Amino acid sequence: MNKRFRMAAAGLMLALGLVSEMAQAAGVLTIGRREDSTTFDPIKSAQNADNWVFSNVFDVLIRVDNTGTKLLPGLAESWTISADGKVYTLKLRDAKFSDGTPVTAADAVFSLTRIRDHEGSLWRDSYTIMDTVVAKDPRTLVITLKTPSAAFLSQLALPNASVISQKAVAKQGEENFAEHPVGSGAFSVKEWLRGEKVRLVKNPYYWEAAKVSLDGVDWLTLPDDNTRMLKVQAGELDAALFVPFSRIASLKKDARLVVLLDRSTREDHLLINHTRGPLGKVEVRQALDFAIDKKAIIDTVTFGYGKAANSYIPEGALYYHADNLRRPYDPQKAKQLLAAAGVKNLTLNYIVNAGDEVDEQIAVLLQQQLSKVGITAKLQKVDPSQSWDMLVAGDYDISVMYWTNDILDPDQKTTFVLGHDSNNNYMTRYQNEQVKAKVAAARIETDGAKRKQMYIDLQKMAKADVHWVDLYYSPYRNVTRTNITGFHQNPLGRFTLEETVKK
Amino acid sequence: MSAATGIARVGRRALPRGSTLSVGIAILAGWLLLALLCPWIAPYDPIAQDADATLLPPHAAHLFGTDNFGRDLLSRVLWGARVDLQMCVVGVAFPFVFGTVIGAVSGYVGGVLDTLLMRLIDIVLAFPFLVLMLAIITILGPGLGSFYIAMALVGWVSYARLVRAQVLTLKQRGFVVAARSLGYRRGRILFLHLLPNALTSSIVFAMSDCVLVLLSGASVSYLGLGVQPPTAEWGVMVAEGQGFITTAWWITTFPGFAIVVLATGFSFVADGLGDRLGARP
Repeated sequence: MNKRFRMAAAGLMLALGLVSEMAQAAGVLTIGRREDSTTFDPIKSAQNADNWVFSNVFDVLIRVDNTGTKLLPGLAESWTISADGKVYTLKLRDAKFSDGTPVTAADAVFSLTRIRDHEGSLWRDSYTIMDTVVAKDPRTLVITLKTPSAAFLSQLALPNASVISQKAVAKQGEENFAEHPVGSGAFSVKEWLRGEKVRLVKNPYYWEAAKVSLDGVDWLTLPDDNTRMLKVQAGELDAALFVPFSRIASLKKDARLVVLLDRSTREDHLLINHTRGPLGKVEVRQALDFAIDKKAIIDTVTFGYGKAANSYIPEGALYYHADNLRRPYDPQKAKQLLAAAGVKNLTLNYIVNAGDEVDEQIAVLLQQQLSKVGITAKLQKVDPSQSWDMLVAGDYDISVMYWTNDILDPDQKTTFVLGHDSNNNYMTRYQNEQVKAKVAAARIETDGAKRKQMYIDLQKMAKADVHWVDLYYSPYRNVTRTNITGFHQNPLGRFTLEETVKK
Repeated sequence: MSAATGIARVGRRALPRGSTLSVGIAILAGWLLLALLCPWIAPYDPIAQDADATLLPPHAAHLFGTDNFGRDLLSRVLWGARVDLQMCVVGVAFPFVFGTVIGAVSGYVGGVLDTLLMRLIDIVLAFPFLVLMLAIITILGPGLGSFYIAMALVGWVSYARLVRAQVLTLKQRGFVVAARSLGYRRGRILFLHLLPNALTSSIVFAMSDCVLVLLSGASVSYLGLGVQPPTAEWGVMVAEGQGFITTAWWITTFPGFAIVVLATGFSFVADGLGDRLGARP
């Protein structure tokens, strides 16, 4: 092969390569996000970055609709619940995994017992309520609970409880499966270059494949906020997640872009360690609530895109109590309460996540606000991985954290936050036996109206006790090019990629 | 260090011969003056927030503009000079003293002690400078104190090597032999006769080291491990403004510029001193 021929051949191959690349790119949605996935084994993650991709790779028995308020049939096309609320019988639809094999009740039994019993499952506690899970026939699944639970159907919609292929796990082994998963969602994982991107292709066997317009989805990892925004502005990305609050206004002015502010279930709050000296007194905690100017935080940190929070249940979510108490910003009142409690020169150790822009901004604001009522906040900046351990160990006085709901039902968050669960009421060490009993009672109450009243009472009681200080609710902030339509995020974080169209 | 030393190189070519030292001293004196006078000349309280004046571009009332908390950036840059100058001086002083003493003793005594100390230096040098510093600060907890300790533990090696090399060549020289034959004690010979002559290159190096310390301090603060908010420090200010770089350039630009000017001043002084004392670091 002479040199000239070789070069011509190389040129031809390059051109062919470019053509095929372009043809493929036409229907592939590229999304820029902050973090990479960590695993594709659904039971082994509790991170948003993972769950948000699981939702489109795996399918669940029961789905949550796009408004995040209703349950819809998923792999289970119908279900019945026994009169005592303990036996759930689910009828599976005719669906296939991405390798073409059928989804059977045995796969569902495997997946559900796995999330309950597997050593590596991060969700074991939530699923121990299941006593037995049985495949009555290939299309019928029967789940028997130990006690009735009003939240159980919502729990089946959790992406981590997705149905995965038992055969594929057995054949590939768990480690290989975590990188090359076999699910029955709209897309399947084609390749995963760690730290760079996750490449999804359309799953031709998906039971609703006719609805899916995209040929594939590339999830690119771009940690720097500025880079991600510039890339979507330059047209190198179709969509970018986590628009910084400070950039929303300027991106909105760009005619080539659409900024999407979808309702989320995120609530940011100030954790209070109830076991630390004066913080155990309710007057002191109330003083903190009065001393914090939520509006200033919303204006400065969220540029007005957040909303002041008044309950641990996020606004718009099931059983949210809109009229829950809002303590106004009143430094005078805060000083009086502190004086009445006999607390002087209070110094608080405030854990801040180093490198987290929003966290650091809130810290600077809170420090100044608290100083106005005579409280000294000592900022302690630590690495995010370390800060979590410190909160769990109770090695703090106050710290800002957030929570986004994983399931539609309020039981999950309520149990974590008020139910005296194994995590010390989300690290606050809050103790109220009445609240604890009510959380347990609300979980098994099947009468809708009664249950709603119980959650309203819980929100009032938690607010009265100042279990933590509710700060603000904020929306999901994403941006797309104008040629992308149908790209949304439901309040639980699931992306509507099945309905997304790229023109 | 490279950026500022690069500027110094360019400066050396552009400035008349021999004037780099005076220009450098003028820059340093200027910053020192601003740092000392900042309670009187800074127009605002550097940590006072103003919710009605956030993210204002530079204008008459706020010459450098305001940040996202409505704090005046000119005042913050001026108050930041205090912290950054202190960082340079303290951050260089400890390594300078430790390194000089260890290097001098090692070179003069020689033998097993010398071999052991040199291997220790090799070990310290085997780690990347910033990584080792970050590791130490992470263990000690964030803050300026930890930064100084980390600087002292990591920075002394350069001085020790420089001084040891000087002492090794000088101890064979006539004046040392003469002092020894007069029966002076070893300590006296080392600290009164040898060290003053061995120090010149160390002093020049210390000046250019100030640049490195300044930039390390700013980097460490940028990573959240150095100066803690709300204290104004240039590295922290650059970090705080990073999220706004496309919408409010002034938050990062002015403190960044301050770092460059101060670093250039130190570089000029190091260059000028090197020429004057005949020692090139």
